[in-house]
Amino acid sequence: MEVTRRNFMKITGATAAGVAVSQLGFDLSPVKSHAQMIKTSYAKETTTICCYCAVGCGAIVHTSKKGDGRVINIEGDPDHVINRGSLCAKGAAISQLTENDNRMTEPMYRAPYSKKWEKVSWDWALNEIAKRVKETRDATFTKKNDKDQVVNRTTGIASVGSAAMDNEECWIYQTLMRALGLVYIEHQARI
Amino acid sequence: MKGKAFFIDTTLCTACRGCQVACKQWHDLPAEKTVNRGSYQNPEDLSFFTYKLLRMKEEVVDGKLKWLFFPDQCRHCIEPPCKDQAGDPDAVYSDPATGAVLYTANTKGLDPDELECPYDIPRKGPDGIIAKCDMCNDRVHNGLLPACVKTCPTGAMNFGDLAEMTDLAKKRLEKAREKYPKAALLDPLDVRVIYLVTESPDLYHESAVAAFRPVRGVTRQSALKKLIKPFTSMAS
Amino acid sequence: MTNHWIDIKNSDCILIMGSNAAENHPISFKYVTEAMENGAKLINVDPRFTRTSAKADFYTALRSGTDIAFLGGMIKYIMDNKLYNYEYVRQYTNAPFIVNKDFNFKDGLFSGYDKEKRAYDKKKWAFDMDEDGVPKMDRELADERCVFNLLKQHFNRYDVKTVSSITGTSEEDLLTVYKTYSATGVTGKAATIMYAMGWTQHTVGVQNIRTMAIIQLLLGNMGVAGGGVNALRGESNVQGSTDHCLLWHIWPGYLGTPRASMKKLSDYHEKNTPKTNDPLSANWWGNKPKYMVSTLKSFFGKNATKHNDFGYNWMPKVDNGVHYSWLDLFDEMYKGNIEGFFSWGQNPACSGTNAGKNREGMKNLKWMVNVNLFDNETGSFWNGPGMNPSTIKTEVFMLPACVSVEKEGSITNSGRWMQWRYQGPKPLGNSRPDGDIIMDLGDRIRKLYENDPGAFPEAILNLKWDYLTHGEYDPHKVAKEINGYFLKDITVKGKAFKKGTLVPSFAYLKDDGSTSSGNWLYCNSYTEKGNMSARRSGKDASNNIGLYPEFSWCWPVNRRIIYNRASVDLSGQPWDKENPVIAWNGKKWEGDVPDGGWPPMLTEDGKPNPKAKHPFIMRPHGHAQIYGPGRADGPFPEHYEPLECPVAENMISGNSQLVNPTAAIYSTKADAHASCDARFPFVGTTYRVVEHWQTGLMTRPQPWLMELQPQMFVEMSEELGKLRGIENGERVKVSSARGSVECSAIVTKRFKPFKIGGVDIHQIGLPWHFGWRWPESGAEESANLLTPPTGDPNTRIPETKAFMVNVAKLT
Repeated sequence: MEVTRRNFMKITGATAAGVAVSQLGFDLSPVKSHAQMIKTSYAKETTTICCYCAVGCGAIVHTSKKGDGRVINIEGDPDHVINRGSLCAKGAAISQLTENDNRMTEPMYRAPYSKKWEKVSWDWALNEIAKRVKETRDATFTKKNDKDQVVNRTTGIASVGSAAMDNEECWIYQTLMRALGLVYIEHQARI
Repeated sequence: MKGKAFFIDTTLCTACRGCQVACKQWHDLPAEKTVNRGSYQNPEDLSFFTYKLLRMKEEVVDGKLKWLFFPDQCRHCIEPPCKDQAGDPDAVYSDPATGAVLYTANTKGLDPDELECPYDIPRKGPDGIIAKCDMCNDRVHNGLLPACVKTCPTGAMNFGDLAEMTDLAKKRLEKAREKYPKAALLDPLDVRVIYLVTESPDLYHESAVAAFRPVRGVTRQSALKKLIKPFTSMAS
Repeated sequence: MTNHWIDIKNSDCILIMGSNAAENHPISFKYVTEAMENGAKLINVDPRFTRTSAKADFYTALRSGTDIAFLGGMIKYIMDNKLYNYEYVRQYTNAPFIVNKDFNFKDGLFSGYDKEKRAYDKKKWAFDMDEDGVPKMDRELADERCVFNLLKQHFNRYDVKTVSSITGTSEEDLLTVYKTYSATGVTGKAATIMYAMGWTQHTVGVQNIRTMAIIQLLLGNMGVAGGGVNALRGESNVQGSTDHCLLWHIWPGYLGTPRASMKKLSDYHEKNTPKTNDPLSANWWGNKPKYMVSTLKSFFGKNATKHNDFGYNWMPKVDNGVHYSWLDLFDEMYKGNIEGFFSWGQNPACSGTNAGKNREGMKNLKWMVNVNLFDNETGSFWNGPGMNPSTIKTEVFMLPACVSVEKEGSITNSGRWMQWRYQGPKPLGNSRPDGDIIMDLGDRIRKLYENDPGAFPEAILNLKWDYLTHGEYDPHKVAKEINGYFLKDITVKGKAFKKGTLVPSFAYLKDDGSTSSGNWLYCNSYTEKGNMSARRSGKDASNNIGLYPEFSWCWPVNRRIIYNRASVDLSGQPWDKENPVIAWNGKKWEGDVPDGGWPPMLTEDGKPNPKAKHPFIMRPHGHAQIYGPGRADGPFPEHYEPLECPVAENMISGNSQLVNPTAAIYSTKADAHASCDARFPFVGTTYRVVEHWQTGLMTRPQPWLMELQPQMFVEMSEELGKLRGIENGERVKVSSARGSVECSAIVTKRFKPFKIGGVDIHQIGLPWHFGWRWPESGAEESANLLTPPTGDPNTRIPETKAFMVNVAKLT
């Protein structure tokens, strides 16, 4: 996604930083030289919508085209008609949500009575979860309620979440949970 | 007068603190370890790692409670006392294009107090270098607004040519006076960061205007000469 | 929101009550500011002075849990002073409807109350019908049994003096608010309400909002630019996740979950599809069978046939009269009745009311799956305060989801705008998009059932589950499924469509299985013209009121202001000439997408137009509901105290019920509550601040935000600080009947004691952003350890906004 138009402001009296600063005629320190560079100059730009409140502000994500391909900068999208480039304290911090050493990057497992987490593979984790779902579902499935009405459900499994997921994810999630027979399906909107 | 300026209209500031974080984000500044001291304001003060600070004070004025918000930062003085005091253009200099007052690594060894900033802005880091707001000079030269201005939702933070900002400040002052008779601009002729406030400036922060009083026990001789005069508003 | 964020700029008067928009929806203040610059008045009502209050033209405080009294006083003020918009009220609302004489209100109870069931028989609240089966009306509003006069009578008890003694707001301040706000009853003026969980999280949550909706209708503020009833939703996609029904009681697009009594699809249609005999009522929900069948076609694809009722019985049903909501779910978990638990992108160990009960309940699970960006108090509950891991059997699988900027898909904002997001960086480490995890898990479960059928495999194996492209989750495929397809070559409404093409809008959906649509409300969002949510045109519509119709897409059918047919008079001309939402040009509507294309109520020569429809098309009778006989707790709002409150009696006259007689109540030993109890003398409330979000899970692990707001805190008045010997910044303990939390004290002028019934009542407030996992000190805990085990009878949203606490210095 290319962002094509920006509300660039005009610089009067200076065309390029390099010219203006070098006229001073002395050696440039780090601060001076960084005036000529901009960290987002060669980054990939994508648009996003802020992940916090529901105002739905637009932001531009600058991702490094080189090296680790990580986020360099995230700031308000000036072409977004709601926020026009602005962001609050949380929105201004999305880059730190993304590039954050506290994030989980591997599936983890806590065994019964254990005091610790163990790193596990996706393959193992999802297979084990699928087995638990089937086991519990098969054991607790109710075809008919006590009034002999067909209900085809399980009250042995419950789900909460999530308003943090995308629309498409919410839709397939509820479809899967309902097909499994869950009726305890709730999320943030209730609380 | 050439160059750039900020106009900060505190009547529009909601203390969302987007500016404070956007500044850290753009400059890759680390967070400081803070505690809740019985206030929302944090960190407690500007520092080597905090160039922009949303100061928040609760004051009762004429029997009415006010929560005063003051996005504090370097004023990029038109004749910066710190530049004179440093006396070393390799340490402190102004960008002639923008008017940004810029500090380099060569400030190492200087004492922030000796720079006699009338607004008490410069702060020393762990390795002895002094730092403060750099007007996002890199952004400005690349046609972008300073990070704090870009992120401001309400129009409290503004940036542009000095003359344009001075005009805006006057216009906004006139408008503000309809609601707030005591509204005033702070040191509008001396700085590139013009604040519009509605109450007595010392209620916002002791160094909101060029300080009359010694800050941290230092008398600011040269600053006094250049900047400190009775608090007046441009329009009065 | 009935309107949207940008539209706030068109308002003449903005009431922020039950929300703190400057802090929790900061960018909304771009438009609040713009309105104020153009002369609008900003009124803020909140128990404590906030950053919103700091910007308001007028601020006043009320005690938490007394909003109906506050607003009920405004209804009385409007009625007594005849400030209502007479024409609007009599033409577009149910004010003229005649209510059957079975309806009455005595001693705080509406007719039909069953004490055993703690529920009403709503049949007692019906309208009188004429011989054609249309509600009897008196458009002159003279009949003493018409809604208008019953409303007047009901709220006559809400005089300013009584209201003041309940809310603690001065009489003078009440009158200032009433006068300023109700000035917009004049034709051409608009006022808006910005509310959030400050209104919903009460045992009278729905009725808080009803009271305001009544005010908006009386003043003619619905459907117009700068008006509306605007819920400021708190999470980036909580609107979308609600539309896509991650809730027990609804199916996509607010279709009801099938009940056990609805054996066949025809029973479902019969019970759920409202009917009208009024030829002037559009009764849009009459289309429900088309939406239901199209949904089933999306669920089960070609496996859903007419022969098998489109798979209707494969999906689970809920028992009649039973609730399966959040409070009930955790009640069951606490009682040991739930084995397996998915906590997917949520943190119930901190987010739910009475969170200590939730944490205890988690010990009873066999297994838990916790999907999140960060380790949290839920996934690590076994390692939390007071837990002994060696006694806790629960297996926990913790799956790392990626951040929103690392994946592609759409979210829907509070103004109902669906907006597409793109992938920036790839997911960090081995984290994955939620969609990818869901598809993968679904595939593995389906494989298990293919190999070993187990219990009732039909639903699982018949599910349409083909949303991968090159082995990866494809959000575009799902987005198209949500929009819906024509499943065969077909002609609808004179237009021919090809099999396999996308349905242009829900008006073309069918109930015979020839169309699919995963969510009818989103039908029109991804069509043959492309992905509407990805549009970015900055051009406004011709009416120039900030609709930006080609920027993203909004439901329904890109209508930016809903109920907009009420923004015009009977001839189709805008009440507000300066900010017209729609206008009839003699042939068609111009401006926003109208609420149906039917002509205005009157023809050009001023005669009733038989082709017209009443403007409130989602109501069976086409009129907005001042009288709401569908609610669980009464057709009119009434002030009741919170379950935990500081007073012994309801101070409204003619009401001997202290608490909402239908409020949800729970009774395990973890559900203690204490009213008028000397141990807990102060009113407590919870809230959010700009620096954090929700339980803090997406903000507490972030150093920049922790720098701004590092610790759990409690705000209290200087008077209370003095009373308890607490200095600003000291650590204190806040406790309730359920638990206690250590906090840093903010002793502030922004809180003031309330004069309630002549007595000083103190209130404190706490953010609910903290939890023991982050910061790593473990000392900052969740305010929800304090909050009470009760909720609204309609929504069962917990009452986390008003409860009783004590505050003491840490010794």
